[in-house]
Amino acid sequence: MANSISVPRLEPKNERFLQVLGSWIGKLSIYALLILGVVISITPFVWMILTSLMTLGEAQGIRWIPTELHFENYVEAWKEAAFSEYFTNSVILTLITLSGELTFSILAAYAFARIKFPGRDALFALLLSTIMIPAMVNIIPNFLTVTWLGRIGPIKWINNWPAQTVPFMGSIFAIFLLRQFFQQVPNELYDAARIDGSGHLRFLWTVVLPLSKAPLMVIIVLSFIGSWNSLAWPMLVTNSPEWRPIALGLAQFVDEAGQRLNLMMAGAFITIIPILLIYFITQKQFTESIARSGLKG
Amino acid sequence: MERRLVSSRRIREWREYLTAYLMIAPSTILIFTFGIFPVGFALFVSLHKWRLKRGGFLGMDNFVRALDNLSYILFFLLAVGLLVLGINAIRKMYQQASENDDRPWWLAFPALVFSATILALIYWVFKLLPELLDIADKIIGKEKSRELFVQLLGEAFRADLAFATWGIFTKLVLASIVVGVILFFAKAFQNTRNFGYLLNFVFIELMLLIGGWLIFVTYVAVQDAYRVAFEAGADPGIWPQVITIGSGVILIIISWRFWQSAIQQSSDRAFIFYILGALTLLVGGALLITELPTAMAAGDEDIWTGLKVTAFYSLGTVPFQLTFSLFLAILLFQRLAGSEMFRMLYFLPYVTPTVASAAIFRQLFSNRYQAPINQLLISLGFEPLQWVREPSGIFTMVAESLNFNLPEWAAGPSLALVVIMIYSIWTFVGYNTVIYLAGLGNISTELMEAAKIDGAGRWAIFRHITLPLLSPTTYFLSMLSIIGTFKAFNHIWVMRGGGGGAGSALGTTDTFSIVIFTEFFEKLRFGYASAMAFVLFAVILSLTFVNNKIQGSRVFYG
Repeated sequence: MANSISVPRLEPKNERFLQVLGSWIGKLSIYALLILGVVISITPFVWMILTSLMTLGEAQGIRWIPTELHFENYVEAWKEAAFSEYFTNSVILTLITLSGELTFSILAAYAFARIKFPGRDALFALLLSTIMIPAMVNIIPNFLTVTWLGRIGPIKWINNWPAQTVPFMGSIFAIFLLRQFFQQVPNELYDAARIDGSGHLRFLWTVVLPLSKAPLMVIIVLSFIGSWNSLAWPMLVTNSPEWRPIALGLAQFVDEAGQRLNLMMAGAFITIIPILLIYFITQKQFTESIARSGLKG
Repeated sequence: MERRLVSSRRIREWREYLTAYLMIAPSTILIFTFGIFPVGFALFVSLHKWRLKRGGFLGMDNFVRALDNLSYILFFLLAVGLLVLGINAIRKMYQQASENDDRPWWLAFPALVFSATILALIYWVFKLLPELLDIADKIIGKEKSRELFVQLLGEAFRADLAFATWGIFTKLVLASIVVGVILFFAKAFQNTRNFGYLLNFVFIELMLLIGGWLIFVTYVAVQDAYRVAFEAGADPGIWPQVITIGSGVILIIISWRFWQSAIQQSSDRAFIFYILGALTLLVGGALLITELPTAMAAGDEDIWTGLKVTAFYSLGTVPFQLTFSLFLAILLFQRLAGSEMFRMLYFLPYVTPTVASAAIFRQLFSNRYQAPINQLLISLGFEPLQWVREPSGIFTMVAESLNFNLPEWAAGPSLALVVIMIYSIWTFVGYNTVIYLAGLGNISTELMEAAKIDGAGRWAIFRHITLPLLSPTTYFLSMLSIIGTFKAFNHIWVMRGGGGGAGSALGTTDTFSIVIFTEFFEKLRFGYASAMAFVLFAVILSLTFVNNKIQGSRVFYG
């Protein structure tokens, strides 16, 4: 009778050892695969940086490691491609776009999230449906609109900042993202604020915005990346370096540099640096917000 | 006292509305001007001969040039689709009405006034648009001033056709207001559902009117094409093609319906009956659709190569992207030390400016034998390849190295396009991994524990728990990636070596977007490029629709 009580079976020593070994091998193989992934994803960057520090002969040869570090390549690329001009252009364009986009989207997102008005849901659905429209459908009429506006209005649009900023100030993506966050602000806060005598705008400024730093940052980073990437539209609406953004400048430089790989890679790295800085500063919150919203600019 | 309270509440309500409208105004105006209006404007452009400047009205000619007779068939199908939408809406409304014991049918008459007003507005904008565009030409060489602009605006407004349509529009607006007031005072909306019925009727009538009009217009265009062809002594054969291909498409849709109801059948016999029916219909439809190549024989070849390249590009990137990123996400999900750092590094290619990273790839995969990838091939004992400059298909190249010849249709994507695919996979795996990680995080661990206790192995858990529960994420990512491949522009532009000519791989890397852009930007054919862009739009919409139907029904939302 007493024998029926089951006694926990003691594992033999060598079996235990095998288990530990197995989990170690498992972990090691996972690490090996992960590291292989990292090697694939950063090798192009490493090659770019190494090549950008070589002499022309080395860069065209089969070397991977430069014999001496030629930082003057950066100076030369910077001067030759007028990167300073493209840089300032891109920064100014981004800042103008961002200031408009943020102001307008914050206001619209607040109204869509927290005020009930007739036609709200239908209008929001209509605006949201524009995401489906491919850029190639819009690019031709928008080009015509922008030229028209420039020709009838007092400000130049082509070869100037308006054509490259104004069309991007209305962003349904930003409105959508912000609306999600604004909806989560508890109603009690608004009631309290109203008792204190503050209206919508003050509530928005003093309560809602300080609570929504994360989505605001995502919008800022994404539209920074977006305007750093814009190529087709600036190609249409600019025809001199005066207002050309960095992506277009780099694309031109890549064509002109021809076989001068070291300068080309220096130029590429110059373009990447600001985005890298922004990404490394914000990356934790940024990737998490992307994962949470699952959206893409 | 009572009255004043009510009215002050009303005033407060109106003030709320006003605040809201003012707050959304800037964004809404901008999105309308640069996001919604352009679709109509593009349609307007696509109906004209438009080379930098607006030429004559062409009707469907641009579409016919692009797709040959297929364009008539597509217009008919579009019209039928609109009619089906309208009829479906009637059916749904009938159900809702009989459930609630409502009798809303008389609302169809006031709705007719409203939908006529909307159509008149569209018609007026269509007539006014060219006059407005001409203002820019009239202003050249004159001192720009507000007075001049207002004067020209007035002239545009009073131009014959625009003014006549404006007259119709204003009369209809007045009629709408009168009808609205009558409805309001007749207490038509005491039953709150009536407002919904009214909107539904407006939608239905718009669909039916536009669908019917489209059928009429296409019919006239086909008759014109016949007349022109007969004068030249040829037979365009449009009607037989419309009938065979149209019924082929309808057969395939019915077959899909059969297939769906087959799954719901409980008895084996009914199941087999439905499956057989679906298969027969499918085969019949497919046979009828084989007429397609003759219907589009005279179409623009660039469009078909562009579509083919885009299809290759989608098929060659999306599955790989999703598989690799799912794999990486599962590895990262083991929560080993340092997984945050791995995630950050995988995400790096996605945030890098595309022009820069595409330039790097163009050099890594350069045709020079000293380029890194060619050096890798040489060190492994292979011949160096042309990579970004190689226009021949990769299946052909593989077959040739094994000493046999493939027919031309089996050539596959060019090696240059494969480089672009590799680039895309490299760029987007990190983004997809982050989204998959979030999806994995949402799966409850209890389910996995339970399965483990039941003795399920790792593979069984992955196959029967992880994968089904991840299906919403997979669905979302595949949609996003497919649409992304249709939109792709920057990196392909850089890798094909910028504008001008066919590019470094003889046009084998030109996706549909690139074809449209060169048609517009280099050949300056605005009208034709717009028509092409609409074809792209139609392809994206139908892909989304099909993906929704097929994959959407399999998505498992826990």
